Amino acid sequence: MRMLSSFRFWCVALVLLVGSVLLAPSTPSTWQTRVAHIETLVKCPSCDNLSVAQSTAASSLAVRAQITSMVRAGDSDTQVFTAIERAYGPTVLLTPPAGGLTTLLWVGPVALLLVAAVIVARLRRR
Amino acid sequence: MRRRAIALTALVLVVLTVGFTALLATRPPIDATAVHSPLLGKVAPEFSGTSLTGGTVSLQHERGNIVILNFWASWCAPCKQESPNLTSFAWSQRNNHVKIVGVVYNDTVASARSFERYYGALYPSITDPQGSIAFHYGVTAPPTTFVIDRTGRVAATLVGPATQGQLQAIVSRL
Amino acid sequence: MILSWIGRIGLYIGFLSAVFGVVNQLLVARRGRRSYALPAALASLLGIVVAVGAMQTALVTHNFSLAYVAENNATFTPLLYSITGMWSALEGSLLLWSLILALLVVAVVVYYRRQRDDEVVSYATMVLFIVAGFFLLLMVGPADPFLLNPSHVLQGAGPNALLQDNPLVAIHPPLLYSGFVGFTVPFAFAMAMLLSGRVHEQWPIEQRRWTVLAWGSLSVGIVLGSWWSYQVLGWGGFWGWDPVENAALLPWLTATAYIHSVVVQDRRGLFRVWNLSLAVGTFSLTVLGTFFTRSGVLQSVHAFSSSTLGPVLIGFFGLSLVSGLGLIAWRGDELRTAVGVDSPLSREGIFVMNNVLFVGFAFVVLLGTVFPLLYQAINGVQVTVGTPYFAAVAGPGSIALLALMGLAPLVSWRRFDGPTIWRRARVTAWMCVASVVLLEVAGVRHYAVLLVVFLAVAAAGSALRTLANNVTAARRRNDLWSVLRSPSTAGMVVHLGVVILAVGIVVSSSYTSRTEVTLSANQRTVVDGHAITFHGFAKRTSTLESQTLVNVTVDGARLQPAITTFSGRSQAVGTPAISSNFFRDVYLTFDAVGQGGSTSGAQVQTNVPVGAVVLGVTVEPLLSWLWIGGLIVGLGSALTLGRRRSSDEATA
Repeated sequence: MRMLSSFRFWCVALVLLVGSVLLAPSTPSTWQTRVAHIETLVKCPSCDNLSVAQSTAASSLAVRAQITSMVRAGDSDTQVFTAIERAYGPTVLLTPPAGGLTTLLWVGPVALLLVAAVIVARLRRR
Repeated sequence: MRRRAIALTALVLVVLTVGFTALLATRPPIDATAVHSPLLGKVAPEFSGTSLTGGTVSLQHERGNIVILNFWASWCAPCKQESPNLTSFAWSQRNNHVKIVGVVYNDTVASARSFERYYGALYPSITDPQGSIAFHYGVTAPPTTFVIDRTGRVAATLVGPATQGQLQAIVSRL
Repeated sequence: MILSWIGRIGLYIGFLSAVFGVVNQLLVARRGRRSYALPAALASLLGIVVAVGAMQTALVTHNFSLAYVAENNATFTPLLYSITGMWSALEGSLLLWSLILALLVVAVVVYYRRQRDDEVVSYATMVLFIVAGFFLLLMVGPADPFLLNPSHVLQGAGPNALLQDNPLVAIHPPLLYSGFVGFTVPFAFAMAMLLSGRVHEQWPIEQRRWTVLAWGSLSVGIVLGSWWSYQVLGWGGFWGWDPVENAALLPWLTATAYIHSVVVQDRRGLFRVWNLSLAVGTFSLTVLGTFFTRSGVLQSVHAFSSSTLGPVLIGFFGLSLVSGLGLIAWRGDELRTAVGVDSPLSREGIFVMNNVLFVGFAFVVLLGTVFPLLYQAINGVQVTVGTPYFAAVAGPGSIALLALMGLAPLVSWRRFDGPTIWRRARVTAWMCVASVVLLEVAGVRHYAVLLVVFLAVAAAGSALRTLANNVTAARRRNDLWSVLRSPSTAGMVVHLGVVILAVGIVVSSSYTSRTEVTLSANQRTVVDGHAITFHGFAKRTSTLESQTLVNVTVDGARLQPAITTFSGRSQAVGTPAISSNFFRDVYLTFDAVGQGGSTSGAQVQTNVPVGAVVLGVTVEPLLSWLWIGGLIVGLGSALTLGRRRSSDEATA
């Protein structure tokens, strides 16, 4: 088919495809999915590297219970993180608290991306 | 690429490397993290046991002293780092009613004895044959240290190799 | 006692030979003196072999007069784990590293023996001897493996329980170390080219085979490490972004960039600065890795602990990187080329993007790994940088690299030729769209999965297309087997392996489900479409361990998750059981028992009836694709041994 060899036609198909993906109804966020998500961002207090979602240690179960009760009580994600951090210390969050030096963690990749873009953009026959 | 561009990039990278190296070269070895264990503030679970050198140690007996309960194992790398710290601390606190008690975690008696002798520990360590002491204290990985105050309540929990400074800070608060 | 002295003498011989080698090779390069590289290399190897022999003898005979043996071995340690005990702790791991390095130095010296008077070869050999000498110096000095045990003991500590029940301990570290050590060679020759000024020569291209082998070794080593974690650690995970894991990933990233970038140097003489920098960077990162693992400065399950080696190792890292960069800056003039890259969407342009992405990726992983140290130095507070951060940066990075993998075989050298690219891409492009449509119809909604599958089909399509072209060309030559020697075959096979790995990672991560089920005897339940039946308990005892097993059938397959207690030790270790097939892994852990079950060593839960068991069930789709992909990557790397040079053949 002639159309299949057309790049433009394929682009249209691609745009339609992306549209269908983005516009598809997303599964509503229940409290369970919120809890599951938060659990992946909190470290098990007595383990080396695991999130509370992965660990079955006693301290981990305690944190999970706290998260669940706070989410069901209607607290926002930020409130949950703040409470947990207050109870267990800043190391319990798997990402450092926002602000200050932590912006370097996120600015770093962006800056590198810009440098990369500059390097690539300067590739032209002189 | 022009010569200047190469030299400039190299210079920037050299500066970064030197800074990075200096930062990492001056880092102290990891120390323990104070964690919020469910036991905090509660009465510490009773225990008693036979020490590796033969005596008996029990928590009841130490009421009135500050007890530093340290779970360790001979195969645990940070425990090797920690052992001299605990010994130094035990020595410095010998007249201050602070007692250090070790608990062997998931280890053979022979290896534990060997470790104790090798590192010259100045405090007794008891065996925990059924792992019940570790279970009641919720220990999942050595080294884990509990600081028990004079009334028998858990004042602090440290996970990881404790340093003298950390223990000193906690003890002076009690 | 004697063994200790034999070992030490071996180390001294090794070290002094290396020092002699450094001086000798320097004189060969500068003064044209006679090269004694081979005797020096052999002597150094001999010294290390003697030291390793002494250590192995002590381990196998359970000789506890050596402190290292007392700390890592016991009378009941089986032979295999006595042997592998050599590298289960710091000082011994340096022995393994030095052994592999010494073998490599001998190999390089023998390979280049006809050119031993060549300035580049002698400078390179000098650098190799310097590195070898450094690691030997560590063992002669602060990290002495042959320290005597001050107390006379009848029993040793034995290796860590987690290290003595899996034969992978015999394969994973040696493979990793072979990879790390292998990158000393490109570094040595890069430094040699810079020192001699002969930066326009083709040494990296000629050595490509060995660099790819080192890379393949490292890749398979990393995947094996993931497989090991997965089998043993109990939550179905395989990568934790732990500092030591990252330490292995960093040189892998720059090494991958290097082996691709060298292709451009071969074809068009470009990217010399990139390649020299990548060679220097990769080696420096392997040294940095030894720092993370051995300095005791970062918290890690994999770390050996020591505080004296840290500054020395990081100093060596700084020294190698700064001297490499300094030399590159010094030789800047000679590194200019008359031609450049003509378009971002030419083959060369794609390779630039590739370099930039891999190096950027490495920078970001490094940033995340040392950030807690930086934070503590400035703010005095301890923080954690864990999986969420690394996944957030690794995800987009990997997706971009996957896209490049699909694009690169399609674009032309030297120019952007849209119609040609489309002509080559057409079939694959429609298959990408079709695959995503199929997935959407099947109900797949995760953006990550859809995007990765789209790009994976693209990358696989490009790779298969190239392989098909190679097969056609081979047929035309009437020699089908020669397809294995085509320059691009090995690379495309590796790409296919990577694609399979990528799909496995994204699908298993997006669709993992974790539940806990409580089952009484002979009770059956269904989790996620998988039938799980509990048949009862069993006990198994051996000299090393005693186990309480749970007999379970999952979809008809028999599994036995267990709790294992090692001889004499009190606590128990959970031993997961996995039912694995092409489509999914079902991962079972023995979590708890009901009342009255305390003899099993498992946790007792009082709300669970007597005789019942609590099982952790994790279902991970397509997880086996990680190991399949890893295997194919390894095979592809091995294929590079038969590769013809691309200058011998006209490529599409």
